[in-house]
Amino acid sequence: MRISTNTIYQSGISKISSLQADQTKLQQQISTGKRITLPSDDPIASTRALEISHAQGVNASFASGRQTAQLKLNTLESSLASITSLLVSTQSTLVGAGNGSLSDLQRGFIATELNGSLEELINLANTQDSSGDFIYAGFKTDTKPFIANASGASYAGDSNQQLIQVDAQRLMAANISGDNVFQAGGNDVFTTLSNLVTLLNTPITNAATQAAFSSGLATAISNLQGSVDNVLNVRAAIGSKLNELDALDTAGADRALQYSKSLSELEDLDYASALSDLAKQQTIMEAAQKSFVETTKLSLFQFI
Amino acid sequence: MASNILSIGTSALNAAQVGLSTTGHNIANASTPGYSRQVVVQSAAQAQNFGYGYIGQGTEISAVTRVYNQILARQVVNSQAVSSGVDVYSSNLGAIENMLSDASAGLNPALNDFFASVQSLSANPGDTPTRQTMLSYAQSLVNRFQSTNNRLNEIRDSVNTQLTSSVSMVNSYAKQIARLNDVIEKAVNSAGNPPNDLMDQRDQLVLELSKQIKTTVVPQNQGSYNIFIGNGLPLVVGTVTNSLITTSSPTDPGRLEVAYQNKTKTTVLGIDSLPGGEIGGLLQFRSESLDTVQNQLGQIAVVLAETFNTQHAQGLDKNGNPGGALFSIPDPAVSSNSDNTGSAIVSSKIMDARAITSSDYRLQYDGTNYKITRLSDKTVQSFTSLPQTIDGLSFSQISGTMLAGDDFVIRPTQNAATTMSLVFTDASKLAVGGPALSSNANAANTGAAAISAPTAGTSYAASPLASPIGLTYTSGLPGTLTLAPSTQPVTVTSGGVTTTFPAGTPITYTSGATITVGGLSFVITGAPANGDQFTIAPNTSTGSGDNRNGLLLAGLQSQGTLNNSKTNYSDAFGQLVNTVGNKARELKVIGLTEAKVLEQATAAVQAESGVNLDEEATNLLRYQQAYQAAGKMMQIASQLFDVLLQLGH
Repeated sequence: MRISTNTIYQSGISKISSLQADQTKLQQQISTGKRITLPSDDPIASTRALEISHAQGVNASFASGRQTAQLKLNTLESSLASITSLLVSTQSTLVGAGNGSLSDLQRGFIATELNGSLEELINLANTQDSSGDFIYAGFKTDTKPFIANASGASYAGDSNQQLIQVDAQRLMAANISGDNVFQAGGNDVFTTLSNLVTLLNTPITNAATQAAFSSGLATAISNLQGSVDNVLNVRAAIGSKLNELDALDTAGADRALQYSKSLSELEDLDYASALSDLAKQQTIMEAAQKSFVETTKLSLFQFI
Repeated sequence: MASNILSIGTSALNAAQVGLSTTGHNIANASTPGYSRQVVVQSAAQAQNFGYGYIGQGTEISAVTRVYNQILARQVVNSQAVSSGVDVYSSNLGAIENMLSDASAGLNPALNDFFASVQSLSANPGDTPTRQTMLSYAQSLVNRFQSTNNRLNEIRDSVNTQLTSSVSMVNSYAKQIARLNDVIEKAVNSAGNPPNDLMDQRDQLVLELSKQIKTTVVPQNQGSYNIFIGNGLPLVVGTVTNSLITTSSPTDPGRLEVAYQNKTKTTVLGIDSLPGGEIGGLLQFRSESLDTVQNQLGQIAVVLAETFNTQHAQGLDKNGNPGGALFSIPDPAVSSNSDNTGSAIVSSKIMDARAITSSDYRLQYDGTNYKITRLSDKTVQSFTSLPQTIDGLSFSQISGTMLAGDDFVIRPTQNAATTMSLVFTDASKLAVGGPALSSNANAANTGAAAISAPTAGTSYAASPLASPIGLTYTSGLPGTLTLAPSTQPVTVTSGGVTTTFPAGTPITYTSGATITVGGLSFVITGAPANGDQFTIAPNTSTGSGDNRNGLLLAGLQSQGTLNNSKTNYSDAFGQLVNTVGNKARELKVIGLTEAKVLEQATAAVQAESGVNLDEEATNLLRYQQAYQAAGKMMQIASQLFDVLLQLGH
């Protein structure tokens, strides 16, 4: 076959430039560590990678939701722990208050102590979290939920639960409203304490006042027990939510790991094979260049 | 006899000279594009009969011709048109692909960041910095939409520029070919011999022309070429040329179309009339890929903005007001054809973002019927009146008179991503709270039932609750709830079964059932006692811990919203990337094949017509020796003549 001189040069150039293009591509893959540098390199894998990175993003935002929920529940838990110990110590104070040998004056001392407990309890019920939100106010987190009054305290919050998305299908309540902690089922712990203070400040002068005192004290002790039980129930519920969050965290972390593994399988470069490809390309390139130079060197004109 | 030898020698000398100069010409033009090697056609001169036989009279040159194979050349021209078309499509699509593949510039990271900030807003609804952060992520999402679409618009402008330059090249080639036609025809007619180099030049112009557009050559008897472009439009006929021009699309002033101009009129050419070459490739790229990508991006922008706004309107902001629109998105762009004779102004609005497609629409009026065509699949719907709603879009005439033949193009999504913006920057206007509250109204409720906070459906914002609704439980078998006031029907959904109770009738109580009234849904659980009361009331407070709407806003991320609520935003973007990736891959493969075909066709032409320098070196030696031999012969003839002259001394 007849070959024109142009063709010799043209095919030499086009071979070398296509080898150069291949090398650039490999070089690009090696420097980025990615097998796919453009969607057209593997349209299916690159779309799949987009889906996975979307799932990754969603998963990460659930994780941050869990973090917030955990923080809020832990704040609640530590505040409820203080409330429990306050109520328990109030209970033990009350055991002594029933002692018949106490004088009115001595009962007055206990009343003063209980009044202090009442104030402390109202303070605890107005606990704010790190961002200054009242944790027992339902939705009204910027409103002080409990205001002291003559019969204990009135509630200014609402009964709403703030739900947080902690997993794809799980909305978790991360607060508990004050009325459900301190006034559950009509048993208002503030009223109980306030009544107790009044009761202990009332002098016992005869059998009738003695009987009223005894029955009032018994009611108060039983009401207080009810309140303690309620607080413990709330704490148990929070504890189980914290456990659930831990479990969800583990599952979420597993998913995150799985996603990055899949992404890596889809996108990442197999360095060993890429480097060996590069070496092979270089050999071919050298051979192509050398043979091109050798072929084009040959010319009859050299001999004329 | 000697004079005969001398004249034979002269003819040989001449022939060798012609051979040498032709070889020299070949060597000189070895790398000239489009040059076909030339060869000397030499034959023995007419012999003379001397009775005893014919004595040769030397040699003569009958022609210098070029080695040219029309069939092979035609293959190159055809292959060149296809190959340039694929190349220009591929390189323009590459610009889109590069933009989409940039992980830091793609839409997905911005979408993810935005929704992560909404999620975090829903977990910390009262926190002002969190609200501000969410707004700034919303702004960067808008910026990302804008910058992506601006880049697409730049590519669109560059298509216009490329078309203009291609068209002017076509016209320039046409003129040059027509001129060469003239010269060649005259040369052939007068001298009878074809002017080889001019013909090479003309063939090279045809090849250049085929880079711009599919070109067909029909050679004429007198040596001129008639050139047809695209699907058979005559560009050059003998010495007469027609031309292409670029003209603004009658329905989109920013879009250049290619039109064909002959003496009498100008016709805008559709993509089907202009296959191949850079012009064909550009038109195909614009309508197949660029329009689609830009419309799909716009669709994501429109649907995101509309669905977010709709959900946002269901909520209550920090000031106790219902949520306003966060994103502003333009109404569909309507352009009326510049050739319309009527004065009608047509308007289109998005009625249901979830139902919209990424297609453009054409509205045509024939005097009686309004024909609306979805341009993506050419689905036609015909109506006798306007307004109409198709695919979530309304089409209406707002003023003027429409006349037969008027047409309008409606582009709901094309530039939505660029014109998108944020409506407010005041973080307190983010409506994270729910619009209504519920309560166990009567503190004296003796039963153990609780009512959940109500959530609003999409219809709620249009007719919100004006005053509280009280619910009173009456025990019995079954127990019932009486609503006061009860002006709307109530639906109760329990275990997947929905029962509707007309306004004014008590509803059957089932613990845990979802009760829906006036667009608000809530659940009462537990065992209420006779006379227990609950209330549903409009939320006017500024409860900063209320995050109910925030949760629903965050939930949009993974919800099917586009294409009739089938695809989420991120997947829609994934589909867009996939479409571009697949097309780019397809073009890469076709491009490689076509380049190979072109290379082979070119090599075939070169094998026949190209100059081989070694061959020319051989010819050089051959003609040099022929020249020397002829010279020697003439020397001998001269010596012979000398012998005769000396005979006289």
